[in-house]
Amino acid sequence: MPDIRLEATINGRKITRNAKPHQRLLDFLRDDLNLTGNKEGCGAGECGTCSVFVDGVLMKSCLLPVAKAQGAQIETIESLAKTGELSLLQKAFHKAGASQCGYCIPGMVMAATAAIRANPFADREEIKERLGGNICRCTGYQKIFDAVEMARDVQNGRLPATIFSEVEAEQGDYIGKNVRSIDAPSKVTGRLKYAGDMTMPGMLHVQVLRSPHPHARIVSIDTAAAETMAGVEGVITSADVPGEDGFGVIVNDQPVMARGKVRYVGEAVAAVAAEDLLTAKRALAAIEVVYERLPAVFDPDEAMRAGAPVLHDYAPDNITKHIPIRVGDVEKGFAESDLVVKEAYSTQAIEHAYLEPEAGLAYVDHDGVVTIVSPDQNITHHRHMLARIIAKPIAKVRFIMSPVGGGFGGKTDMIYQGMLALLAMKTQRPVRLVFTREESIISTAKRHPSRTRLRMGLMRDGRIRVLEMTMVCDGGAYGLSTGNVVHKAAVLAAGPYVIPNIKVDTYGIYTNNTPSGAFRSFGALQAAFATESHLDICAERLGLDPFQIRRINAMRDGAVTHTRQKLGSVSLSRVLDAAEKVSGWEAGAPVSRGDRRSDLDRDDIRPPCALGARFAAADKQEAAE
Amino acid sequence: MDKQMSADRPKERQVMLICGEYLTPGTLDEAFAAMQRHRGRYRVVAGCTDTLPWAREGRAGDVEIPVLIDVARIPDLRESRVDDHRVWLGAATPIQRFLDDPALGRALRCMPRCAVWFADEQIRAQATIGGNIVNASPAADVTPALIAYDAEVELAKSSGGRILRRRMKLDQFVIGPNRTALEEGELLIAVECDALPGHGGSFEKVGHRRSLVISIVCLATLVKLDAQGRRFEDVRLALGGIGPVPRRLADVETFLRGGPLSAARLEEAAEMPVSLVASRTRQAYRRDVVRGFMLRGLINAARRAGAEAGALPPELEAVYA
Repeated sequence: MPDIRLEATINGRKITRNAKPHQRLLDFLRDDLNLTGNKEGCGAGECGTCSVFVDGVLMKSCLLPVAKAQGAQIETIESLAKTGELSLLQKAFHKAGASQCGYCIPGMVMAATAAIRANPFADREEIKERLGGNICRCTGYQKIFDAVEMARDVQNGRLPATIFSEVEAEQGDYIGKNVRSIDAPSKVTGRLKYAGDMTMPGMLHVQVLRSPHPHARIVSIDTAAAETMAGVEGVITSADVPGEDGFGVIVNDQPVMARGKVRYVGEAVAAVAAEDLLTAKRALAAIEVVYERLPAVFDPDEAMRAGAPVLHDYAPDNITKHIPIRVGDVEKGFAESDLVVKEAYSTQAIEHAYLEPEAGLAYVDHDGVVTIVSPDQNITHHRHMLARIIAKPIAKVRFIMSPVGGGFGGKTDMIYQGMLALLAMKTQRPVRLVFTREESIISTAKRHPSRTRLRMGLMRDGRIRVLEMTMVCDGGAYGLSTGNVVHKAAVLAAGPYVIPNIKVDTYGIYTNNTPSGAFRSFGALQAAFATESHLDICAERLGLDPFQIRRINAMRDGAVTHTRQKLGSVSLSRVLDAAEKVSGWEAGAPVSRGDRRSDLDRDDIRPPCALGARFAAADKQEAAE
Repeated sequence: MDKQMSADRPKERQVMLICGEYLTPGTLDEAFAAMQRHRGRYRVVAGCTDTLPWAREGRAGDVEIPVLIDVARIPDLRESRVDDHRVWLGAATPIQRFLDDPALGRALRCMPRCAVWFADEQIRAQATIGGNIVNASPAADVTPALIAYDAEVELAKSSGGRILRRRMKLDQFVIGPNRTALEEGELLIAVECDALPGHGGSFEKVGHRRSLVISIVCLATLVKLDAQGRRFEDVRLALGGIGPVPRRLADVETFLRGGPLSAARLEEAAEMPVSLVASRTRQAYRRDVVRGFMLRGLINAARRAGAEAGALPPELEAVYA
């Protein structure tokens, strides 16, 4: 492999370096030059966290073979605030509160910089389009667009530059005020180090061998060839776990690496630590695993039937959790109702898709403390579990939470920290694992797919008499947060409505699918989707406005919920009023609308399949020519 | 129980392209020399915006190519020439050129509108016209638009120290999904097509989002009207995303040419290509989209071609423009 002799100007500095022919510009900047401000979010040109200027033109450095930088001027996020002073756009991002987790922000600032350079007078639509190559999962983009417009207006003299120095909150008075986030400067400059940006002297690179089968007995794992490869410092399997193997949120049913059998495609089976990434990858290929395939089950309803394949010995019915709720007399409620509506609803698995793929760094410190640095959303619980797994006293286990580049619940599971601990202990060197986007998607928890059967009885005037719901959630191969998710789904199933008779059953079921786990709203989404869709259908059947049917049944201040929780204040009425106003709602029952909807024909609603805000002027001119 | 045992030696899970050598020839001669020297063990790349994501898990997976030959820096391939009648575009011309070069945008009114839908601002700066053509994706955006301009491709190979060139129509060059008429040792040098500054252009596209989106259907439309702005003098139409290769709609063009912009004729024209939908999936959806895009494309292009006020049927204009 002849190296490339690369000459380029990086952030104003001329460099001459050797680079590997297969390196991408992103690898070269991050690994060789330690310019970690720009991130890797997907490695496939989809997310824009790696955007850098090449000869003044913004490009995605994960799509650029390093040879394309030959002789070029490269500017990374580090170039923007080189003197210590934030650039106009960085100040605006800070001021507008445009950064949350911060992982997309370096790329986003670069894209915004390119947009304003390309057209200093771009309107909001054009800004949106020019930032189209960069994804953010936290902000919903509005504050980012606010920031770009603010910077544009300051640059064009339409806003005073003093806007950046104004402080809204009085000393000590923060509630209800706009407060400047103190960590924003570290994010808009790319200075904040996420776990994947961190290195330590002597650090090894970790790669994980994953199951290709949804359900199989592990007959044997042969790691001998991998262990003797030059550059490989440690290989681990479940045999290396010294303590009580098993982690989870409610039930500790998941081993650090598959033990005896694999239960889903993507489950960790073995892990390697090596001097470099390529060696670690090659070592994985040298590990031989013999599997005996087992019948698998992918549908939770099938998994509940007698004779279905069983995933875990402790749960022969494949039920992770069943939550029943009973209020009043359901049969009586249906008998009293004027209208009974029965429907079925389903929701699908959803990936969190935080911009930062999982990453972690682990080492054993001078006092023998096993230390894990990772974007972990539940470090205290994980510390206790890991102590038991590696058979160490709690004082010898330390978790450090690195900045979380988006979690949304998806980083609450100890899915890889156990492997890092074992490899750090085995090699006695720092070890780092950085997931690829593909690995993150295949191996970590998703939102629970659900199937809900819902029956509701109502009076002619819209009052709900009774609700009966059965929800089956696909929990996938391991428990994780399933128990809590189906619990919350049950508690919130009847919504914020006064309903005298209720029968709710929610189930979390084991299947050989990717495990389901915590995800924003945590079971409420699946239940609310069913209940709220159902209310719309009932409104249609009763000739009521969907807002009206909700107001008729709304809980008020001081209400007691179906699970006996007393609510001091209930904001539902205010929420309904606000939603009705901003949506430009056409009053009336759903059946009253014609084939054209006036509430959609508004200036602030974009027509479908439309792109090309920059052509607005050209359109007129073209016709005139 | 399935007693079948399997020894699974996993495929090497590389998530990047591994190559032994990455060559950046500065001239066509150097490129051909490299191709001859590494015959059977090279791959030609240009923008690389599809090659790198292709060499990842879930697509090609582990890819080890001994030699990559990057032709994007060859000056001949980066030139573009425009006059009143013809446009010549070097194969390594970045897609973004359609948006950045006003002369090109005027000569090919459809192309900036096509380009704005292509990937995103940043990938367009790197991705090349030639790459999009040679990739021959059924969902390619640039290819159908260029087919509407009667584009020809210029191909070259080296033989006995001489460079042999040939030309062919673009719609014959693309022969199937990821398949072209390019021969072993041959390079796509350029695309040449009509300059049609007097034609109004539209590019309609739908996918799952607006940026970085693969076409489910795309339609390139070019319209020239008579001096009164009331009749079609010329119409060019090409559809993408509806089957293995892009399709020029010659029969619809003939049907519309010389006729008025009436609702009846537009609606009849919109129906004509619906039966061409031969995609692997979502055929019913695509047929609906084709019908709608035909109306939208023709109306938008006619408006931009200077349709007389009131010449377009107002009921269609209200819905589709």
